[in-house]
Amino acid sequence: MSVAYLDALRAELAGAGITGRRRDRIVTEFADHLACDPAAQLGSPRKLACQFADELGTLQARRVAGRTFAALAIAGLLFGVAFFGSPAAAFGAAPAGAPLLGRLARVLAILAPQVAFVAGLLAALRALRRRHQGVIAAAEARIILRRATVATGAGLASSVSLGVIALVFADHVPASWQALALIASGAGTVALLAVLPSLWAAARLRPVAAGGAGDLFDDLGPVVPARLRGRPWRLAVLIAAAVALAIALAGIAGDDPYDGIARGVADGLVCLGGFATLGRYLGLWSPAAGGPPRGNPA
Amino acid sequence: MRSESLKGHLDALLLAVLSRGPLHGYAVIEELGRRSDGALALPEGTVYPALHRLEAAGLLSSAWSTAEGRRRRVYDLTRRGHRELGTRHGEWRAFVGAVEAVMA
Repeated sequence: MSVAYLDALRAELAGAGITGRRRDRIVTEFADHLACDPAAQLGSPRKLACQFADELGTLQARRVAGRTFAALAIAGLLFGVAFFGSPAAAFGAAPAGAPLLGRLARVLAILAPQVAFVAGLLAALRALRRRHQGVIAAAEARIILRRATVATGAGLASSVSLGVIALVFADHVPASWQALALIASGAGTVALLAVLPSLWAAARLRPVAAGGAGDLFDDLGPVVPARLRGRPWRLAVLIAAAVALAIALAGIAGDDPYDGIARGVADGLVCLGGFATLGRYLGLWSPAAGGPPRGNPA
Repeated sequence: MRSESLKGHLDALLLAVLSRGPLHGYAVIEELGRRSDGALALPEGTVYPALHRLEAAGLLSSAWSTAEGRRRRVYDLTRRGHRELGTRHGEWRAFVGAVEAVMA
């Protein structure tokens, strides 16, 4: 009886994404329990496996969000130091005959950090807002994990692009900046690669806890004015406009108004494009959005 | 007592049981039942996921030991777990006080 029960538990744990040492440990603990009390009512193996996956899934999602945010902070700081100390040849107008790899790296080095920042911040925000919840909905855990994955991927793209720029444009940048950029790129890449085992561990779990995935309003909470609740596109347009305005004003302040306005408009459009393409995947909006305002379960 | 009523208090109960010394899973459940005169009888299997979660959260530590030729995992409260228990205890006292004041 107990052997069959333990076999069933082992199989259900594997089905819930709990394998390896964790699964062996759980089965050993239940075997010990049954040895102490052969008549013990431990419950359905499937329900137990789901409970393990839900509890561990919640914890892993929070952990991944925290680690991703910490790694992004390190990589972002290093990237920022290299970016703001960069010569014009690195991120300004491309030198004549610049190779495609270098041009691609420059585009990535501008776009990817913004994606990494937004996705990483939103992953951390959602995890923070659910920090007192014992078990979060499986859909929410999945959203946190997706955001952390996108943030880590975009962060890695940013750090690697920086290194590529330093190498491809070696003839056009000072050796001191090249060394700084390569160190920043390497250290940032290592910090972000360190997140991958946590991401992998969280991705393997298959929690089933009921509940919705939430949206941007669950992340931002009371920061969002009541009249914008339930209208994610209106909020996205406002944020894009604010970003465009900030960049345009920075250009005007830097005596480069036309370039500033052009960059501002382009960045605002990129914001909206990102919201449209990644918004649903990252749980910023749902197909039902646009209906009546939702309550905030946080 | 209904197991649903215990759900919100399971973590605090497990921390309290382990505050008196290390125990393995079966002994935790036994101790919980003994100290509550059988009133807090939990569905036994549900205690293990909670123990794993509390350990992963840094509130418990665990180590293998051997008893009667069997391997068993023994749990103990960490320093952080002791602090958390103190916090939960304070919250519980405040809650009970408030409820009693209303019910009296």
